[in-house]
Amino acid sequence: MPDQVSLYAPGNSGLHHLHPLTKLSLAGFALLAGLTLPGRWGTYLLVALFVLPLAAWGGLAGRLGNAVWRIVLPFAVSVFVIQGLFWTGGTPVLQLGPLSVKAEGISFAIASTGRILTVVTAFLLLILSTRPDALMIALTERGLPPTITYIVLATIQIVPRFQARAQTIMDAQQSRGLRLEGSLIQRGRALIPLVVPLVLGSIVDVEQRAMALEARGFSRPGPKTSYLQLVDSQWQSILRAALIVLSVLAVVGRLALLIIP
Amino acid sequence: MNLKRDFNTMTWVLIPLAIAINIAIGQIVYSLKIPVVVAYLDSIGTVLVGVLAGPWAGALTGLLSNLIWGLTGLNVTYAPFAAVAAVIGLLAGLFAEAGWFQKLWKVIVGGLITGLVAAVISAPIAAYVFGGVTGGGTDILVAAFRQMGLDVLGASMAQGVASDPLDKAITFFIVWLIVRALPGRFLARFPRAENVQ
Repeated sequence: MPDQVSLYAPGNSGLHHLHPLTKLSLAGFALLAGLTLPGRWGTYLLVALFVLPLAAWGGLAGRLGNAVWRIVLPFAVSVFVIQGLFWTGGTPVLQLGPLSVKAEGISFAIASTGRILTVVTAFLLLILSTRPDALMIALTERGLPPTITYIVLATIQIVPRFQARAQTIMDAQQSRGLRLEGSLIQRGRALIPLVVPLVLGSIVDVEQRAMALEARGFSRPGPKTSYLQLVDSQWQSILRAALIVLSVLAVVGRLALLIIP
Repeated sequence: MNLKRDFNTMTWVLIPLAIAINIAIGQIVYSLKIPVVVAYLDSIGTVLVGVLAGPWAGALTGLLSNLIWGLTGLNVTYAPFAAVAAVIGLLAGLFAEAGWFQKLWKVIVGGLITGLVAAVISAPIAAYVFGGVTGGGTDILVAAFRQMGLDVLGASMAQGVASDPLDKAITFFIVWLIVRALPGRFLARFPRAENVQ
């Protein structure tokens, strides 16, 4: 059982050594620029010319490609099939029996797939190259309440345990005669004996964890020191500021295009 | 409404557990091969926090839950819907505040309403970012609605309205079962214990 759930792929590249907030700014910029670019092909260019080179710099291009393929393919197939075939009042370009492929649908599908691609690759770039705890500490240094940091880090450590416990409960209930196959009604009724023990069993923990945290000064106000030290540099600060400004401009620009006829 | 009272240490400990519950139960539902058109049950933890610790704690749980789904790489496509999950937690907390978790029929109705609101809010996000499709079984509904003449946003909203209320009603029902099974002494430690006693 892993001790935390994350996609972080350790490495020694320049990308890995960047400050977490720099990587967050890069991903955030890619996301916002991708979602605000007009036209259909801007997103693909952004991914190819900005996100992919960054991933390659970190030695993560292969992993990124695999994950993107796995995540985006179902959406891409769906959007091309559904919006392509069922676009209302579109101009048909190809006849497939009773249905026809519409040009506007395909155009929309290209734009949509580009946007999904942007969102997914931006996120993946961030999480593949950044340790979760490093990111949370960087945010806490900038003012994020330590309680939020606790929530994120505790969750990613608890999840593997929960998944193991869920499996144990499934096995235990099956050995008591619970059927996990059959009609939908039968499978639906199996939900309660699986879900309720999982939740009740873990809630019992809550009181003890609360006391343990209190004993470690959890709710004491004031700054907290961290074991993990982060390295930052002047040019990264400047880069982050520039990325934020560009992102704001992109959003404002796109909104302006919508409002001004 | 006292925020400090709602966010005591028990609440802070409950939230990560609730998010882990969201994730683990989503997986059980997947293992049982329950079709997504019926229920996906990814907000049981969020609703639970809303009931036990109030609307703002519920909203925070929903928000962080979806962001963590993205951050851990477990389901990156959930991240854009963080605001929707926050609204689900908020509504659960408000219904609980109004005493709706003390009678079963109100629990179900509360779930249906929450599902409806969630469907309406998530439709524009699904339409803009994901081209109005979900990549899963419910896309059959999207195709049907598009064939009927609804536009991308309309079909996305219709698909949501057809499947979300049932999912949230079942979610609220399961949370109701859970809080009824918890010992009173334990419930009393949570900020909003009066919602369920």
